Amino acid sequence: MPEGTAEPVVAVKPGRHREATLYHALHGAGAGHGHDRTLAQLREAALAHFYTSDLPVWRRSGFWTTSLQTLDLDALETAPDAVEPGVVPDVVARTLPDRPRAGRIVQNAGAVVHVELDPALAERGVILCSLEDAFRDHGELASAHYSKRLTIDRHKLEAANAAFWTGGAFLYVPPGVLVEDPFEIVYAIDGPGVAQYGRTLIVGDRTSEFRVHEYDLAEDFSEGQALHAGAFELYLRDGARCRLAQFQDWGRGEVYDVSTRYVGVGRDAYCHWLPSLLGGHLVRQHLELAVSEPGGDMAFRGLFFTEADEHLDAFAVDLHETGPSGGDVHWRGAATGESRASFEGLIQIDPGAQQTHTYLQIHTMMLSPKARLDAIPSVLVSADDVSASHGGTVGELDESAIFYMQSRGLDRPAAVRLLVEGFFEPVLAQLNDEPLEELIRSKLTAKLASAREDIEAYATSR
Amino acid sequence: MADLEIRDLHVRIEEREILRGVDLDISRGEIHALMGPNGSGKSTLASTLLGHPAYEITEGTIVFKGEDITAAEPHERAHAGLFLAFQYPVSIPGVSVANFLRMAINAKREEPIQVKEFRTQLQHAIDLLDVDRSFTSRHLNDGFSGGEKKRAEILQMAMLAPDVAILDETDSGLDIDALRTVAEGVQRLHDEQGLGALIITHYQRILHYVEPEFVHILMDGRIVLEGGVELVERLENEGYDQIRQEVGAGA
Repeated sequence: MPEGTAEPVVAVKPGRHREATLYHALHGAGAGHGHDRTLAQLREAALAHFYTSDLPVWRRSGFWTTSLQTLDLDALETAPDAVEPGVVPDVVARTLPDRPRAGRIVQNAGAVVHVELDPALAERGVILCSLEDAFRDHGELASAHYSKRLTIDRHKLEAANAAFWTGGAFLYVPPGVLVEDPFEIVYAIDGPGVAQYGRTLIVGDRTSEFRVHEYDLAEDFSEGQALHAGAFELYLRDGARCRLAQFQDWGRGEVYDVSTRYVGVGRDAYCHWLPSLLGGHLVRQHLELAVSEPGGDMAFRGLFFTEADEHLDAFAVDLHETGPSGGDVHWRGAATGESRASFEGLIQIDPGAQQTHTYLQIHTMMLSPKARLDAIPSVLVSADDVSASHGGTVGELDESAIFYMQSRGLDRPAAVRLLVEGFFEPVLAQLNDEPLEELIRSKLTAKLASAREDIEAYATSR
Repeated sequence: MADLEIRDLHVRIEEREILRGVDLDISRGEIHALMGPNGSGKSTLASTLLGHPAYEITEGTIVFKGEDITAAEPHERAHAGLFLAFQYPVSIPGVSVANFLRMAINAKREEPIQVKEFRTQLQHAIDLLDVDRSFTSRHLNDGFSGGEKKRAEILQMAMLAPDVAILDETDSGLDIDALRTVAEGVQRLHDEQGLGALIITHYQRILHYVEPEFVHILMDGRIVLEGGVELVERLENEGYDQIRQEVGAGA
């Protein structure tokens, strides 16, 4: 991409999204200097796509639409300079469990405001820093993996992320290093008017073993909009093992989240990935867990719960590029209020990925007559010596279970609550991490409590 | 006045009348057996007594400890001291036996039960039912064998300490060891806590381990014959057909 591609737009009115983000793309700390020419070139290429594309619309099965028409992108600013350095938003301290950790990095709006890493791990070569700093201090390592498997041109916000990202998170775990406590990566939005282009790059080197917990949080706000357009990539090299979990709760404000996440599992490596999508005005997630070298194995667990007028569109791909490989996908979701949730799970087995064995199951539960919930499993197999199947349930409340619990003295709302909480347990219990499990449980309970009237009305209408 | 008074109970499900005027009195400390052939309405009576929403009471009343509970919610009946041991206990994934019990106990208390008190009660129930301690940390009925489910029912009964329990074909599908454990559990709760019980069964088997004082025979939605434990022996010798012929004119 020749330099100067972006020139025509510099004349855009000051203070608006375009100019602020453009400025940072071209002059900001992570703009790409010295040996990271690739980064600068990618930003420029992405910028071109940003200006020539419209906000995306996703359609599924002919009737499901995720549209960003209501998002006023020009009213949002990335403004990393406006973020007070070193100040961690309250929502972070309020939400994150107090527990031992290997490290933590927090980004507020457009800037990283907090980085900490266990010094003993730093000594052993573990790196945890902003992605901007990674390109400055560990340029070779960052460049070698950056955007290796992510695209920049599928839609406008993907291009925007690649062009405009600021701050970001970079984690590197060296060969053979085992870390018991989680690395915490936090993206927070402390108010409206923000476009946060989050960018995470994680590399687990040979036979390393570690946990990563990502938190996506926002303060509740009643007016205005905010955007998180994230790009996440994690690469596990030979024999590496990672347990990755994501806690997403954008609160009650009008937060849009359009993110792409890619996890690549290398030779004989293993990843257990559990996203929990628990709140956001409009959330579109493209989640891809790929076994890219022989012997790779993975467990893809997920849960979602939409309420009120939330809209969730999740597309999860269980991709096998080579065999032998293993996969096991298990998602559970529920919807209350007038919310809409659509989950599509795709098993894709590429040509040559022989001896792949994978299974996909999706279970959903509808808790309100006005909620809409779709679960679509699909299988795309281009190899013949494989096993791939799917199953699942789409359900309403199990009345016999409710009567059973009532007959033991629980009132109907309590019985329903228990049933829904229990519904998520088969997935949740596999987190194998008590503090995070408790956090997710309490969030599920809170969502149920706020939808209580709704669920009762639904129950009595039957 | 009996603790549980059922008067002229008529019950319909999906336009079909199942119970056609049942009268029954059960008090604390009494063990009753309700016997009858398949389809006579035994399970309908059990579900109706606990307020299952699918069963519509068209006539009659259910009075428990002086309160008319004919239209009460299931949990209100439970709080009043009624208990139903299910023929087919439902699995509740994600909820451990112990946690479920704690919730059920707390549901009818103002103050939550003390941890120590709960543990003591639970240990007592565990000993009574001859189950492994780890049993209570498993998810309720989830992946339980038939015998484990029935043990879990009686364990809950022991913990919730009802005044009157209805055991809906608790004996069905049990091997002899499980049957003995379950039956002895009921007998001990009767002896120690003064439990009143209505044991609903198709067979006589369970009644070899728990001896009823009162036996009622239900046919075609009505109680057609009542008596003492000698009725069980008669049934064993003669079978339902003989009795049906005998009471045929009245039914």
